[in-house]
Amino acid sequence: MTEAAAPPPRPLWRRLLGFNLLTAVLLGIGGWYLGWFGAHAIGAESLEYFEDTDYNELSVYLAYLGGVIGFLVGLGFLNYPIARLRGYPPSLREKETHGWTRYFSLCTDHKVVGIQYLWGIGLFFFIGGLNAMLIRTEQLSPHSQSFPMGTYLTLVGMHGTMMMGMMTSGILGPFANYLVPIMIGARRMAFPRIEALTFWLLMAAGAILTTTIFFGGFPTGWTGYAPLQTQANPGMDNYILFFALVGVSMTLLGLNMIATILTMRAPGLTWTRLPIFVWGVLSTAVLMVLAAPVLIAVLSMGALDRTAQTSFFNAAAGGSSYLYQNLFWVFGHPEVYILALPGFAIVLELLPVFARKPLWGYRLAVAGLLGVSLLSWFVWQHHLFVSGMNGDLRPFYMLSTELISIPTGFTFLCGMMTLWRGRISFTVPMLFCLAWFFNFLIGGLSGVFLSDTPSDVTTHGSFFSMAHFHYTIMGGLVFTFFAAIYYWVPKMTGWELHEGLAKIHFWTMFIFFNSTFAPLLAAGFLGQARRAPVYTGNLKFLNDWVSISAFLLGISMLIFLFNLVWSLAFVKQPAEANPWGSRSIEFQLPSPVPVHNFDRIPVFSNDPYGYGEGPAPSYVVPAGAPAGRE
Amino acid sequence: MASEPSAATSPSDSTNHGLRVVVVWLVLSAIATPLVAIYVGPLIPPGNATVQGQGQTFDNQVMTAFVTPILCLLAVFFAYGLIQFHVRRNEAILDGPPIRNDSQIQLLWIVITTVMVLFLAGFGTYELLQDGSGGGQGPNPIALPAHHQDAFQVQVIAQQWQFTYRYPSLGGLESNQLYLPANTTVALHVTSLDAIHSFWAYELGVKADANPGVDNVAYVETKGPTTFHVRCAELCGLWHPYMFNNGRVVDSAQFQAWASQQQRVYASIKPFMNKPESEGGAPYAKTYFPEPDRRAG
Amino acid sequence: MAAEPLADEGTSYAVVEQEPPEILGRNLISASYLLAGATAFFFIAFVFAYFYLRSLNNAGMWKPHGVDASIGWGTAVVACYALSALLVRFSLGERRALRRSQWRLKGLAALLFGVVGLVLQVIDWTQESFGPADGGFASVYFGWTAFLFLFVLCTLLWLEMSVAMSFRYRKTDGPPPAGHASGDPHRRAPDISDPLSLIRAELVGLSFYWTFLAGIAVVSWVILYLI
Repeated sequence: MTEAAAPPPRPLWRRLLGFNLLTAVLLGIGGWYLGWFGAHAIGAESLEYFEDTDYNELSVYLAYLGGVIGFLVGLGFLNYPIARLRGYPPSLREKETHGWTRYFSLCTDHKVVGIQYLWGIGLFFFIGGLNAMLIRTEQLSPHSQSFPMGTYLTLVGMHGTMMMGMMTSGILGPFANYLVPIMIGARRMAFPRIEALTFWLLMAAGAILTTTIFFGGFPTGWTGYAPLQTQANPGMDNYILFFALVGVSMTLLGLNMIATILTMRAPGLTWTRLPIFVWGVLSTAVLMVLAAPVLIAVLSMGALDRTAQTSFFNAAAGGSSYLYQNLFWVFGHPEVYILALPGFAIVLELLPVFARKPLWGYRLAVAGLLGVSLLSWFVWQHHLFVSGMNGDLRPFYMLSTELISIPTGFTFLCGMMTLWRGRISFTVPMLFCLAWFFNFLIGGLSGVFLSDTPSDVTTHGSFFSMAHFHYTIMGGLVFTFFAAIYYWVPKMTGWELHEGLAKIHFWTMFIFFNSTFAPLLAAGFLGQARRAPVYTGNLKFLNDWVSISAFLLGISMLIFLFNLVWSLAFVKQPAEANPWGSRSIEFQLPSPVPVHNFDRIPVFSNDPYGYGEGPAPSYVVPAGAPAGRE
Repeated sequence: MASEPSAATSPSDSTNHGLRVVVVWLVLSAIATPLVAIYVGPLIPPGNATVQGQGQTFDNQVMTAFVTPILCLLAVFFAYGLIQFHVRRNEAILDGPPIRNDSQIQLLWIVITTVMVLFLAGFGTYELLQDGSGGGQGPNPIALPAHHQDAFQVQVIAQQWQFTYRYPSLGGLESNQLYLPANTTVALHVTSLDAIHSFWAYELGVKADANPGVDNVAYVETKGPTTFHVRCAELCGLWHPYMFNNGRVVDSAQFQAWASQQQRVYASIKPFMNKPESEGGAPYAKTYFPEPDRRAG
Repeated sequence: MAAEPLADEGTSYAVVEQEPPEILGRNLISASYLLAGATAFFFIAFVFAYFYLRSLNNAGMWKPHGVDASIGWGTAVVACYALSALLVRFSLGERRALRRSQWRLKGLAALLFGVVGLVLQVIDWTQESFGPADGGFASVYFGWTAFLFLFVLCTLLWLEMSVAMSFRYRKTDGPPPAGHASGDPHRRAPDISDPLSLIRAELVGLSFYWTFLAGIAVVSWVILYLI
């Protein structure tokens, strides 16, 4: 077959027509108003059950559902089902062309989706970070001063919800989507359209959460505890819809990852040769598929309480506030490991490269990842030690919570022994990985106090627990997120990031992160409650210190942003194919990776960690061998 | 393709680095752990105002001492490892020794972490069952202090956005001040009228969530007279940040004086929640379901 | 061993193999297992809510007087779902034996029973003597059946798509045109070498999922109507 001449480029206005982000936004707004007025038209307000509320919650739900459907239709997600209904044969790929327009439309190339995720999640990460800056502004004074109380609570809630919701996909979204197919020697994910759907659903969800400010915000924080949730104003509906959509996106993302890893591995890639990052993705994806549906279910109950006046969470009418807390944390505790596990995997994946040694104790590391994944299901009531729920089960939950530190310890042991006697070079990704050890150690050891029921009586609901989970999630996830960015973004985009700025970013971030959260551990012990802008005067110095550190931490993020934009948009220094000397397969491909990843499906003969064990594996099929995987 | 890394390994190294780290770690831990246990541990709140608070402080002291050797190990390991094994400036990056495993170290690590975890869980359970540690235990507490049968009952009724304290032994007296008699075992029955709140008496070492329809019991054994802060520790709506007040532990003479003064003040006010005892009502309901049960607004 | 590079800057489509058909089939089947797992966890939340609220019976409002789901309607609904799922399961054999008309008939009948089940469910809601605001059981009942309704509806859409494709499948002889649905002007190879082989895999996945969901419907029947 001969290569056909590319058709002449179409004018810009013509390219704006069609199924793309612009159409999607327009149809989304249209669908929103359709739902809003549709709900009013069918007289939702006049139903008996809605008489005693001032607000018409049903309209809010229908409006946003209409908006989401319009958005997805505008992106072209209905085209394929309709084509199949009309009798066209199945296909896998859409819009896998070159050019920038594919980033703003439904594209089934897993590499495009990965980069879409990186920028999309980055956007909401910065909105969430901005919220944190505003929260710290308020905390400069022991009294409520900068914002009205409702606005402050909305800021707290949006910061938490945005970070928990969006950063759940913070590593699986950009990096697993981009890298897992390459690492397992495939050309695509198992379900390319579902892969794109998870991303665009997340963006729709982000827009919904951001627009909560037009409906009065929500007062509950990211946990959305129920009797308060039921009485809150319509901004709460945005929270429910946001988290439910994130739940759908998570379920599908996890499902897609598991199916891909199970079925699409290249010849020779046995389970013990799988890169540890893929194992981390797998153990996270299992949690996603099983935990997120519980979240969707509990939020559905909340939505029914708010619209149809059911009484799932209303104790006076046969419900229970414990029901919400139970179900939420059945999701919520696996959720925090969904955040942490990819971080473990990235650390273990990167350490061998920069210590120039094989990954120590591969099987133990895998056992650690899977063990955390399994145990995380049995610990949820440690969030409820003082709630009065099942007081006699507290010793069990204390034990199960502390048991999790055993598989987590495997990760530490494997990481530390990989470094031992290695040839360690302090590159930027390596610095972030080493910082992970420090942060997660502090996070883990502060967790010892929280898991101990007597000590938890004082620390529960205080800044201590808040600082603890910032150490584990920000210190565990966000630091490895940046390690992954500095390690893989040159591969993904084909351009290098500026190393000097990156080092400044690391050192400012590491110092000010600790300077922000270490004093908060003390503030919690001294009695400062979470989510309250009012605290006793003796804590003012600590809080001022923390606020200033937090602002400097924000500036460090701006340095990163500047580096990203400057390096990728202006300098455009081409990246080498293998700048780190890695033996992993993605670094044997050109930067950026070509559209179909491989000319031939590679054959694996070893794991990618054989540093010091002879020449790097070539991954190549012998010439003349039949193409294909059988 | 990119520059292939040199496959050569670095020259073998006969120094016993492991022994050095272990020795330094043992010495450091032996010095640091007692210091931390003696000087840092007791500084950790909530303090010694009550038996429960004292128990928590002791717990924190033990755990601070417990985590110190772990912290020391990691500190020594990384300080030594990163200094000893990093690639010097202008040095060629060679591959390290291809050590993939050591089953003895794995076994040792698993055994040690398991023993540590079991110790922590056992210690925590023991401490909890001693006296309940001031935490809310639900309607049927299992961790009871010594004199729980004749504990002084106080009901804490949380609502948006204040606490009301109800004393069944004082004829159902309701007050917005929390006074507790000194040297007494107190049973706090915490419940809520609307959203989830949390009753946190910081200096007493007490925290118990207030759920609507739930009688959440927390025990505290007071010691000498003192004052303490009470605040809501669970986000409960708009004015949650201002849901706090102060309480006092006073000796019995002062407590009687305060009680009769309060009874005089509130004598003219009909008890809000229940019929008074004289009309056959109980002085005390475990939970309350105020009407209307639907949400307002 | 001739060291060819894994990929060049411009991947030539002529070199890229077509997708072996059995991979997509395996994907579909494993995805239906995973989806069943996710669905199970979704409904486990409702099972938990049922038993939790029942055991608490807060304010005596679990099942106030007069709140009881009508077993007749419930049995009819669940029977329709189960029958539909069974028909799909049986049609699998017809499909394997390439008795196309038989499979189409069974598929259509399954679709019909499913839709009847949905309609009966809506009638059931209107016929109950209580509304969603009448206590704990009423909440669980309406929430559970409403979401089961949604899941069944989506599954029936999937079934409808499979049946419709069986009727309307074009180009049944020979592979589909190159790059037919990719919108990729450079593409010269078909995406999937044998799209027809996928229909059976899709049916296996669908049948598994629909049977699983019908099983959940039977569980909900036992819990909501029987006990």
